[in-house]
Amino acid sequence: MTAPGTAAVAPATLRAEYLDRLGASDEQGAIDVALGAVDAGLDVEAVLLDVVAEAQREVGERWAAGAWSVVQEHIATHISERVVSAVARHRPAGPSSGVGRIAVACLDGEWHALPARLLAEVLTRHGWDVTFLGSSVPAAQLAVHLHETGPDVVAVSSSLPSRLPAARRMVEACRASGIPILAGGAAFGPCGEWATAVGADGWAPDARAAAALLEGPLPRADAGRVDDASREEQALLHTRRPELVAGLAARVRAGAGPDDQLADDLGHLVDFLAAAVYVDDPGLLARFLRWVGTVAVPGGLTREELRGAVDDLTERLADSPRTVALLRSEPVQEACSGTGAA
Amino acid sequence: MDRMDSTMPAGAPSPTPPRGLRSLHARMLAGLSEAVVVTGRTHPGGEEIVHAANPAAGRLLPGLVVGVGVADAGHDAFTDAVVRARPGFEAEVAGRLLSARAVRLDDDGTVGAVVDALTCWYLTDVTEERRGSASLSRAQARAQFLAEAGRALHGVLNLERTLRTAASLAAGFLAPTVLVMLADGSDTVRWARADAGAPRPHTGEMARADLRAAPRLHEALTGRAPIDPWVGVELTELPVWHERPDGPVLVVPVPGTVVQGVLVLVGADPDAEVLPLGEEYAVRVGTALSAAALYREQAHLGHVLQASLEPPPLPADTSGDLLVGSAYRPARESLRVGGDFYEVLPRTAAGRTPFLLGDVCGKGIEAAVLSGRVRQSLHALRLVEQDPATLLRLLNVALLDAADLDAAGSSVTMPRFATMVLGDAQARPDGGSRLRLATGGHPPPYVLRADGRVEEVDVIGSLVGALRDAEVGATEVLLAPGDTCLLYTDGVTEARGGPTGRDFYDEERLEAALAGCVGAPPQVICERVLQLLSEWLGGRDHDDVALLALQAAPRRTREAP
Repeated sequence: MTAPGTAAVAPATLRAEYLDRLGASDEQGAIDVALGAVDAGLDVEAVLLDVVAEAQREVGERWAAGAWSVVQEHIATHISERVVSAVARHRPAGPSSGVGRIAVACLDGEWHALPARLLAEVLTRHGWDVTFLGSSVPAAQLAVHLHETGPDVVAVSSSLPSRLPAARRMVEACRASGIPILAGGAAFGPCGEWATAVGADGWAPDARAAAALLEGPLPRADAGRVDDASREEQALLHTRRPELVAGLAARVRAGAGPDDQLADDLGHLVDFLAAAVYVDDPGLLARFLRWVGTVAVPGGLTREELRGAVDDLTERLADSPRTVALLRSEPVQEACSGTGAA
Repeated sequence: MDRMDSTMPAGAPSPTPPRGLRSLHARMLAGLSEAVVVTGRTHPGGEEIVHAANPAAGRLLPGLVVGVGVADAGHDAFTDAVVRARPGFEAEVAGRLLSARAVRLDDDGTVGAVVDALTCWYLTDVTEERRGSASLSRAQARAQFLAEAGRALHGVLNLERTLRTAASLAAGFLAPTVLVMLADGSDTVRWARADAGAPRPHTGEMARADLRAAPRLHEALTGRAPIDPWVGVELTELPVWHERPDGPVLVVPVPGTVVQGVLVLVGADPDAEVLPLGEEYAVRVGTALSAAALYREQAHLGHVLQASLEPPPLPADTSGDLLVGSAYRPARESLRVGGDFYEVLPRTAAGRTPFLLGDVCGKGIEAAVLSGRVRQSLHALRLVEQDPATLLRLLNVALLDAADLDAAGSSVTMPRFATMVLGDAQARPDGGSRLRLATGGHPPPYVLRADGRVEEVDVIGSLVGALRDAEVGATEVLLAPGDTCLLYTDGVTEARGGPTGRDFYDEERLEAALAGCVGAPPQVICERVLQLLSEWLGGRDHDDVALLALQAAPRRTREAP
């Protein structure tokens, strides 16, 4: 398979092969596919982004569709991380070319480090002096790093919109030091609209776009549109989360005993609501609601239970005008009742 | 208006233009510091002539003669205002800034119809006043600049960045080009230069020895001597410019407790009185640079300590019979070290892989220091002893002795107890691994069998570092290929969270989480448990958390693809 010269270099073919190895939890096999592609002349960036990252996206979709278990997804991600290390060792990047110094971090609470790791690897190959801070970086740790190393730019990555309130603290840490911050990943909205909401100076959907964006100076954005009302109501949701989750569980499944899976899902519902309130965008919550129930998890929140859950939240949060307005908004109402939606 | 009108000649306008004002009113007008001029046309459509003027008018509008055309005095701004019958004007006349307003004198409509109306002009010299408000707004701009600079410099604690910020903030405001040079007691002098309009400041450094050609600058950078006027000339010769400066060079000392520097302003506007502002700015820059330099020293200290206390990376070689994984989340996250510790050492000559996971009673840096002591003591003890149970007994005594020493001398109360599991792993001939375990006061480890069963390892012992005759629990665990042994600290099971926010994560949930990880490599198991735990915590505070998983390599039937 890895005989030099005979390996196929079409990324799509490689990706299928690679996914196959991930599916078999075959770390060495996956490494062989990636290194084989590099040896066959495929650009390292293409191997990392078009094979590894794209395959991981497919893994995420399989997980979201319920085809793969969480643990399978974790194993695949773990293997891909090993692959990235193997590729980096196999074809080391040149020394940094003085483009600048950048810190790459995952948002606090974001455990999927691979996209950020790939960005770090790609930027290194674009001449950047990169420090990779890893998964789930607390804002305080980022602040310490900024003071210690004084990078030119910070890039933060996250795939979960429910982590947006954490992004704000990282943006503030950067602003306090006058360092521009680039946001990346699905957490910041399909078109990056929530990146500007939390005050990031730029947004890139993927590593390639980020590298391109960083070719020029980042235009400094304004402080974002998260205002005190949003912040207060989001903080209140965060504080009341346990109580809300308990109340919701009693409402949507009256009489049933405590179920950790349901509690988890309801917790996510509250988190997404808080994030939607935070950036004041009902679309954020609506997207989550549409996704609920597309995966059949034993004991998890179902589509049929959404209506009751949203009504319950509307009643309990009557004191939070922005939250209530958001829950009553058309996109949210449509998403939780839209059984007709294909 | 009324006030002024009462001073007007009662009969004006009169049918024949008066040659002057001789009345009481005229004498009153003579004492006014405001200039008063009455103008009017000789006949409808005719030339505007001066009908009357008080002495102040003569001073402000020299050359104005009563009975003669307004234009003859040659003050264009005034002539223009009169001819166009403007309600007033503010303009420079004869070197003074005059503010004027006009009052038509035909208001009562009595006799004014005979000739064109007369107009009375009141003119005030506002030169000083305007200059005052200009200097006021300049003062405001300066205060704002200093406030903004203070804010921008305050947020930065990185030395290089502070230097760059100091240069770029001032460029364009204090002078078109600004250079900041900094000596921090080392052999290197750093500099940052910002040119107004350039996107980024330039930075560089030079050895102090290279400043031999610039002895006065060298002296200025020690902060001992006042700035010599010739420093500016020396500076222009240094290789720190884009092009050699040809404008005026102002050098301001940057005072600081930890660092010394100079602020160099090139091409500043000589009229703008830049120096006092530059000095004020330099004080702020000096404070910020000193704070950053101090922070750097402290941070370096913290960094070195932290690096020595952080869990060391697991051995990279996982190709053997034993696979390992770990996860770690200290309670105080900006510190990144805590009271939980673990390590896996390289395989010994006897074919055993020693490992350790433990928890010091306490949190933060004090706990981390004790955890470092535990690890170092064990490193030393391992040179003479390999049996885990004996090692743990020796460690117990070592910690007790050290604690006695601490109590005698130190002012900091150090934690002295720890719980831990330590042991080693040895490959078995049939595949799989034999673990020898010794524990003191620590939660019993779990074994996740390859078929998904979760077993608790029945081994306990007493707290380490508390009693001389501590009880050490010892046991052996056999791992078949694919079996995993998970060591964890009580930060996992005692994490409070969940739907109510008050429930412990507890053993039951940990067992369930573990059971869900069948088939996963040890690193994934640890990360999965940590992730579930974080979701359980939901952002609440927690104790240090450490996980270490040891897995006997699963038997791989590597099918040929």
